[in-house]
Amino acid sequence: MIDAAARELFERGIGHAFDQPTSEAVDAALGELGWHDALAADQRAAVSALFRRQGEVSATSSALDWLLASSLGADGAVVLPALGRWDPPGEVYGPRLRVNGLSRQSIGDRVVVVASARDKDIAFDVPAADLLLRPVHGVDPQLELLEITGETVDVDGQPLIGWEAALALGQLAVGHELVGASRAMLELARAHALERVQFGRPIATFQAIRHRLADSLVAIEAAEAVLDAAWLDRSPQTAAMAKAMSGRSARIAARHCQQVLAGIGFTTEHALHRYVRRVLVLDLLLGSSKALTRKLGSEVVASRQLPPLLPL
Amino acid sequence: MELDEFRTSLDAWLDEQEGALAPDHDGLGTLDEQMAQLTKVKRLTFDAGWMRWGWPVRVGGLGGTTLPRAYLGEALTSRDLVEPGIYSMAEVLAPTMIDFAAPELAATMVPRLLRGDETWCQGFSEPGTGSNLASLSCRAVRSHGGWRVTGQKVWTSLAQYSERCVLLTRTGSVESAHRGITALFVDMDSPGITVRPIESMHGVEEFCEVFFDDVAVPFDRTLGEEGQGWSVAMDLLPYERSTSLWHRAAYLHRRLQQLLDAAPPDTLDAAEVGQTTQLLYAFRARSRSTQHRLARGEDLGPETSIDKVLLATIEQAVFDLVGDGLASDLAIGDGTTSERWRTEFLYSRAATIYGGSAEIQRNIIARRLLDLGSDR
Ligand SMILES: Cc1cc2nc3c(=O)[nH]c(=O)nc-3n(C[C@H](O)[C@H](O)[C@H](O)COP(=O)(O)OP(=O)(O)OC[C@H]3O[C@@H](n4cnc5c(N)ncnc54)[C@H](O)[C@@H]3O)c2cc1C
Repeated sequence: MIDAAARELFERGIGHAFDQPTSEAVDAALGELGWHDALAADQRAAVSALFRRQGEVSATSSALDWLLASSLGADGAVVLPALGRWDPPGEVYGPRLRVNGLSRQSIGDRVVVVASARDKDIAFDVPAADLLLRPVHGVDPQLELLEITGETVDVDGQPLIGWEAALALGQLAVGHELVGASRAMLELARAHALERVQFGRPIATFQAIRHRLADSLVAIEAAEAVLDAAWLDRSPQTAAMAKAMSGRSARIAARHCQQVLAGIGFTTEHALHRYVRRVLVLDLLLGSSKALTRKLGSEVVASRQLPPLLPL
Repeated sequence: MELDEFRTSLDAWLDEQEGALAPDHDGLGTLDEQMAQLTKVKRLTFDAGWMRWGWPVRVGGLGGTTLPRAYLGEALTSRDLVEPGIYSMAEVLAPTMIDFAAPELAATMVPRLLRGDETWCQGFSEPGTGSNLASLSCRAVRSHGGWRVTGQKVWTSLAQYSERCVLLTRTGSVESAHRGITALFVDMDSPGITVRPIESMHGVEEFCEVFFDDVAVPFDRTLGEEGQGWSVAMDLLPYERSTSLWHRAAYLHRRLQQLLDAAPPDTLDAAEVGQTTQLLYAFRARSRSTQHRLARGEDLGPETSIDKVLLATIEQAVFDLVGDGLASDLAIGDGTTSERWRTEFLYSRAATIYGGSAEIQRNIIARRLLDLGSDR
């Protein structure tokens, strides 16, 4: 555990890093700040502070790639599962490795592809040039994603353990980012509600507006509570619940805040659209709220067993 | 005592005393049976010391943090030894007595509530006053040697069983709104009080109309000062939205598990089960942090409205699933098991009404947590 003073310093450093104008500059600043050391010293504090802030300011960085690489002990960018999925992005067919995943546009010459084969996972170190790389514009071009697909043959793989743990850590990270983005949207809508006057009074006096914002806060607090719980119990199932709850609450917040911001929130002059776009993609990354929730429900129905209770 | 130690030794004691603690009735039981069971369980747990942990020594407790209180209620409800709603009345009323009653009064009365020697009720709502508590009109006037109370309360849970009532009265002018309210601690056997039980939708006479006809209440039964009744109510409401909700989460977890055990195949929608499971987990995580804040001695306030909204949402979600999984038991089943599911299903509809409605909670969140200012 790092102490409060160190944490404050670290959080200030993160704030500064995310002020940088480009994702390369953000990455450089995070490197200088010693994000890796912070991760080793206090994983929870480092991950929650960094990703919350990244979500709040809707910034882009390589932090998620680094996090997965460090969790898996991999050297280089780890390919993320395809959008909406959480299983490893590689599949092995005889000598072939088939890849369907995502990464960031700033990857180097080689990537690490994790594939599941029968009862174990294997990590492959693959030349990026062997695969099809499509820079993604999509709904949120600023995320600078790269779709990675294709097949390669005769590559060497190393057995690997820890995909489940790395995935859980990634889900918590994206969960914090979603909560950060949700809080930022709520603050934008709140400020607007107090300022915007219609029918001779601020729209914040209308109960329909107040209740939408209250519902957004309830959803956000619920997601945050599961994130906290997941750090306490460190179970992959709780991490998946936290990811699902953060994704769902971000969608709830986006819907309500967009309605409160109405016309101005529908323009690119206003910051809201960046968050709405970001949330759509982040909800899908490492498993969407819908899919993760359905999977949990199917398991609970089939086993007739609820997840263990978080003790007092 | 540390929580871990408390938990282990309490669990062992509950196992050992299983026979002595078990209810005499099958299924949910009538309210009379539930009340008798509650009295028995409170007495046994008080006399063995468990019920006293987490309460101040000056009211008969054994001191320490409030966490043992949360765990005791959780353990008793998750073993189906008590009905959580009636069990948690002590968590709602005793803390406010401790905060506002004269020390001697609290020292005499609180142990009786904890030990199950007495039942207390909460007289806030009136025919004309539900959500807008500040408009209440049950009057208390000063006279020789005490207050004289005249008026009516309604939906007062357990009034027919109660020895005492925490009563909100109007002592100022009607226009004084929340400034002219005074809280009194009233003996329910005082001459002039009439209690008439009301049958509620779930088939239980849980609450009552209570009539006050020139009822004498001594001045030393005033909670806080004259005109401080609003502070008493505002102190009480966060208690109503904290430890008792932790107990309720344990109960909902048990019911959801029982539903999974009982539901015929293909009656439950996986997505809804998944979402309800997540929400219940989220609620427990939220409530857990509230319990720890309370245990650290922090004051609870409007943020407990988030806990209440979550609880009401999850309670109805769990029983909506019951409505899917056990549809025909609910609609046409007549045995004790169906009866119990039906009663509890219907009761869950009140989760967004009592203790401040879902809308009132959202008003509080908007005003106090989001700082949106007045709604006028
Ligand atoms: C099972 C049960 C047990 C109870 N036990 C007790 C008890 O022990 N002691 C006690 O004092 N009371 C008790 N009550 C009463 C309870 O506190 C009230 O029912 C509750 O406060 C709502 O008041 P009301 O029923 O008069 O509804 P109203 O206040 O008339 O409200 C009607 C509807 O209007 C909405 N509404 C009202 N004001 C607003 C507003 N400003 N903004 C938006 N919507 C609004 C409400 O949310 C509700 O949907 C109990 C009720 C139930 C159902």
